[in-house]
Amino acid sequence: MELKGAQIVFYYGLAFFVLIMAVSLIRARSAVHAALYLMGALIGVAGLFVLLHAEFVAGAQILIYVGGVVVLFIFVIMLVNVREEITEATRLFTRQEAVAWALVGAMLIATIIALRREAHLLPPAHAPMEETPLALAEDTQRVGSALYTRAALPFEIASLLLLVAIVGSVILARTRRQEETFD
Amino acid sequence: MHVAMIWALQEPTSFVGRFFEGLTAPKGIVDFLVVSFMLFAIGVLGVLTRRNILIIFMSIELILNAANLNFIAFTRYWQAMGRISENMGHIFTIFIIVVAAAEAVIGLGILIALYRNRQTVAIDEINLLKW
Repeated sequence: MELKGAQIVFYYGLAFFVLIMAVSLIRARSAVHAALYLMGALIGVAGLFVLLHAEFVAGAQILIYVGGVVVLFIFVIMLVNVREEITEATRLFTRQEAVAWALVGAMLIATIIALRREAHLLPPAHAPMEETPLALAEDTQRVGSALYTRAALPFEIASLLLLVAIVGSVILARTRRQEETFD
Repeated sequence: MHVAMIWALQEPTSFVGRFFEGLTAPKGIVDFLVVSFMLFAIGVLGVLTRRNILIIFMSIELILNAANLNFIAFTRYWQAMGRISENMGHIFTIFIIVVAAAEAVIGLGILIALYRNRQTVAIDEINLLKW
């Protein structure tokens, strides 16, 4: 697994795009802008998936996240009033920056320690890797056969989870008047 | 200037040369882990510091995407090394996407009910259960 040539250019472009979009998301004043930055970050991550030969997951990511979740976010922004963050001098952040940065620093240290401990599993830097060529079935075919054989039970449980989520969101979001009318 | 740059590029012991060498080296699993970690850290910062509950939800989506990127990168890496033949990491990623969609739906339903009762989306004004 080594990216060479033009793939390096795509790697840097996508990585910087994703990180810039993510930083813009958590600094955005308007929630609508934040939703659009989220859309950009998700598309960038889908591009990184394509770079890692996960074409089906990249397509699913764009369809479900960008086509579903972000649109849902934008609808909810339309329903709740977030205008005072744009028009007035409201505070955007809580007073927890020090705690947050301390937590992120601790995470960084823990990640470095974990990587050092598992370093014998990772390739040495700049060493040529012996690569066994993949059996080139289509990516979607491989994902589909694994999904319906090894992961058949979680697949059915996921369908139940989605059903519960649909019914639960309708129950949660209806008004008192709707409850009295339809119960 | 140009000559100095070429000399620096040909001499990998100098700092600039080592920098450019690292920049153009083949990208492996560690580079994807770095992107994933930074995405995760940005998501954690967003969750812990923003007041707007909508943007906290979006930061949670960023965190889940960082986990997905790790799964995909490790699947590709172990497949290239010939250790595994199936791509179960892709399956995990698909299930994470499904659970994230369900979580977003339920969370936004709760948010609408909350906004209807309290007329606010700022989390430090919603402190009824705070100790």
